[in-house]
Amino acid sequence: MDFNTLLNKEFICLDGGMGTMLQARGLKPGETPEAWNLENPQKLIDVHKEYIAAGADIIYANTFGANRYKLEHCGYSVERVIRAGILNAKRAVSESVNPNALVALDIGPIGQLLEPTGTLTFEEAYDIYKEQVTAGREADVIVFETMTDLYELKAAVLAAKENSSLPIICTMTFEENMRTFTGCAVSSMALTLEGLGVDAIGINCSLGPEELFPIAEELCKWTTLPVVLKPNAGLPDPVTNQYSLSPKRFAELMEKFVSLGVKIFGGCCGTNPEFIREVSAMLKTRKFSPRNVTILAACCSASKTVEINRPRIIGERINPTGKKRFKEALLANDIDYILGQAIEQVRGGADILDINVGLPGIDEGAMMVRAVKAVQGVVDEPLQLDSTIPEVLEKALRVYNGKPIVNSVNGEEKSLQSVLPLVKKYGAAVVGLCLDENGIPKTAEGRFNIAKKILDRAESFGIRREDVYIDCLTLTVSAEQTAAMETLNALRRVKNELRLKTVLGVSNISFGLPQRVIVTQNFLTMALAYGLDLPIINPNVPEMTAAVRAFNVLSCHDENSMEYVRCYGNTESAASPAPANTEITLDYALANGLKSEGAKITEKLLETTDAMDIINKILIPALDKTGAEFESGKIFLPQLILSAGVAQSCFEVIKNHLAKTGTKSVSKGKIIVATVKGDIHDIGKNIVKVLLENYGYDVIDLGKDVDYQAVVDCAIENDVHLVGLSALMTTTLGSMEKTIKLLRENNVDCKVMVGGAVLTPEYAAKIGADYYAKDAKESCDIAKRVFEEFYPQG
Amino acid sequence: MQLDSLNRAEAFRYMGHKGGEIPENINALADECEGKLLAAIRPNYVWRVFDIEKTGGGISVSGTSLALTGNDITEHLRGCERCALMCATLSIGADSVIRAYESAEMEKAVIADCLASAAIEQVCDIAEREIQAAVGDYHYTWRFSPGYGDLPLGLQRQFIEVLQAQKRIGVTVTDSLILIPRKSVTAVIGISTREISKGRQGCSSCNMRETCQFRKNGKHCGG
Repeated sequence: MDFNTLLNKEFICLDGGMGTMLQARGLKPGETPEAWNLENPQKLIDVHKEYIAAGADIIYANTFGANRYKLEHCGYSVERVIRAGILNAKRAVSESVNPNALVALDIGPIGQLLEPTGTLTFEEAYDIYKEQVTAGREADVIVFETMTDLYELKAAVLAAKENSSLPIICTMTFEENMRTFTGCAVSSMALTLEGLGVDAIGINCSLGPEELFPIAEELCKWTTLPVVLKPNAGLPDPVTNQYSLSPKRFAELMEKFVSLGVKIFGGCCGTNPEFIREVSAMLKTRKFSPRNVTILAACCSASKTVEINRPRIIGERINPTGKKRFKEALLANDIDYILGQAIEQVRGGADILDINVGLPGIDEGAMMVRAVKAVQGVVDEPLQLDSTIPEVLEKALRVYNGKPIVNSVNGEEKSLQSVLPLVKKYGAAVVGLCLDENGIPKTAEGRFNIAKKILDRAESFGIRREDVYIDCLTLTVSAEQTAAMETLNALRRVKNELRLKTVLGVSNISFGLPQRVIVTQNFLTMALAYGLDLPIINPNVPEMTAAVRAFNVLSCHDENSMEYVRCYGNTESAASPAPANTEITLDYALANGLKSEGAKITEKLLETTDAMDIINKILIPALDKTGAEFESGKIFLPQLILSAGVAQSCFEVIKNHLAKTGTKSVSKGKIIVATVKGDIHDIGKNIVKVLLENYGYDVIDLGKDVDYQAVVDCAIENDVHLVGLSALMTTTLGSMEKTIKLLRENNVDCKVMVGGAVLTPEYAAKIGADYYAKDAKESCDIAKRVFEEFYPQG
Repeated sequence: MQLDSLNRAEAFRYMGHKGGEIPENINALADECEGKLLAAIRPNYVWRVFDIEKTGGGISVSGTSLALTGNDITEHLRGCERCALMCATLSIGADSVIRAYESAEMEKAVIADCLASAAIEQVCDIAEREIQAAVGDYHYTWRFSPGYGDLPLGLQRQFIEVLQAQKRIGVTVTDSLILIPRKSVTAVIGISTREISKGRQGCSSCNMRETCQFRKNGKHCGG
């Protein structure tokens, strides 16, 4: 018997809770249940046999927490514990009433949260799961359950797919708000996992069947896969720890899920063989009702699904092409610059963000991974992964959390062969460009034919029609006037005849013409009327987002003009407390925390004043003044940071200006800042970074939880003479000491300053730091001293 | 559980405010941060009551493998027959709000961080009251957390295992013993049939009073 054969049965019955069964046999809460695989095998065999006797077709081996992190303290290896767990289950099957019962390798969450909230990396999670999957090779099926983080689950599924050929069942744990603890939506789970090619998906734990009903209902709408349901026996009482539902009531409630089209039933916490017996008996009286669902075009992040059922804006700004400041940021590894662009576009109205970091001279793959991880950590919007290099696309696809769009494939054989298998493997949607070996066809007919070819090839790889979006390509109308209509006619045919979603970058249309925005906006409106679904635009240009919003009103997508009114109904913007009728000065902006005003004034000043003069004569003295006010207690922390933020927006304008004019910015010296290994408190470090940057230092921010060696390598590679380390926990001060020690052992020519709540000047001296900074202001004083006294050349 | 507003005064104190008017622009930022946090967080807690027993090195929590070690917890729970273990969290939503601010708006990140710190205290206060109401008419100690006094921080992992806090409210612990979501708290509350002396409710009787980080920051852990 195997899982696929089992699926031919009307219903599949799983087992019930393991924890409660073991606790009834003497396991204490807080002990490692998986150690019993080796210490009390007979007890486990007995439990498994009881479940099979009760009607379970699949039993879960006692391997839920058998990962290297959770077993660390119990003295047994992952391999031993898992093998023993599977062996016990197999023995139970062979001794049971149903020798066809299957054994599942049961795998739960690792127990640590992944980056960016936690410290575990995606790659480490993959590795941990790979070890478990490999150890459980004797099982009949792999189950990932009680998952709350879609990202962790993706690492798990990839580890299973790439190291085993067993079928995979995934169940996640949702709360009553229809989300998991990490904010994963039901639709995101379904789209992502079905895309990755698992065999069944569902819901387990957290709540009883009654509370899980709306969640199961939603899930059934979003997947064509068999759906699994494994609820708790109601809710536990904190004093008695007893669950609220009886086996009979549990089975009654479970019966309601049959009509939803749920196929696979079991029980989680608080259930025992009696529950499974009742459920199994109930299922024998019912017939499976197959679901007829079509999953429409959509992409998603873990927390947000964007259905392509109306025009959706793809933000184009994360792309260095033609942007000097962006190129500089990439070369300097300045991820915050990219994050700023991401947040700004979302505020502007982007539904999806395109990410392109291709630039000669950088490792595009590594940069892409960093950018994808960082951007998906701060915005909910799904991403479109944009590169011409398949290897870069694959790296991005691996670490993306959700179902992304791949930008792009084209009609060239080489492109089809290399990109489409990736799209299939990672379950993405794909943009198909209407060009091939012979370039861009002049006619609508030619482009339509390429679109058709791309669709056919995509389908032959098993990619759904709904996941192919065609780009009919915009050409510059000033160079070739008839081309605009060819693009639009091709778009209409692709949309109507091939029934595919369409995507189009529109900005190129107006190149070379005056008042470009007029032409671009009107072309966009025309394209929308011809059936464009995904305009790729700069959402920060108000005319462009306005065109899309107006179209959504006129085409009845924006019901009752709700969105339009929300965006434009209140045109009075929140007035800033600027003095009426008087010109505000940069000093005033700095003192009052007016960021955009600060930037505007700087722009104006640059027309008449030298950039360095603005820095040295206005910005630095203003910063010195707020610094002194902070020290004397006249202002407090948020005010200090706010005025530093204004200065930062002024510096951004200056940097842009210098990049455009090709002037090399003057650096006062390079400084590394890092929150040490094991520590994740990075607010303090980030405050220091902002202030140091304001004083003209090049700050290399290594982030949080930074490996000792990474600090050393970075200091050597970039010839850095000042390293700032931060730690906020007594448990991570040791990491600070080790980092300093390693710097010294490697004879790195640098000074070290340290800071953080638990540090004292005495302790700082003891662990070999050169300076202790009591706050961010003092770190600037230290930097000044270090570069003046020891490294005047920077 | 739902919070309707956050304790601003407490949050500003965490930011180093030493009295006087809060400037208008900072209050406006706090409004925005508070709104964002309230929309993003899902405050939640789990708890269980256990019988306790005094042992050589501290207190053993009956029926579990958890031992609360040290003089301070022994003293804290003196005379108590039972204790409630609790774990509360603001949920990962708070972390996300703060992180999104950190890339470009540090002033909001700092304000949101301090507001969230105040919020988790509010959640713990509500949880404590609800636990007391559910357990009934007994005497209770204040909340004592791993890391206070000489109760080891190293207990965090087992503490959340016993409460199944990851499964039930999504709280995990890193190798460095940091709880994630960041704004999460574990605590022990003693339950007694007899009155609990007030002497045990402050820093003066704590043997960590010279080195306690909590105290150094101007806070105290109960009383």
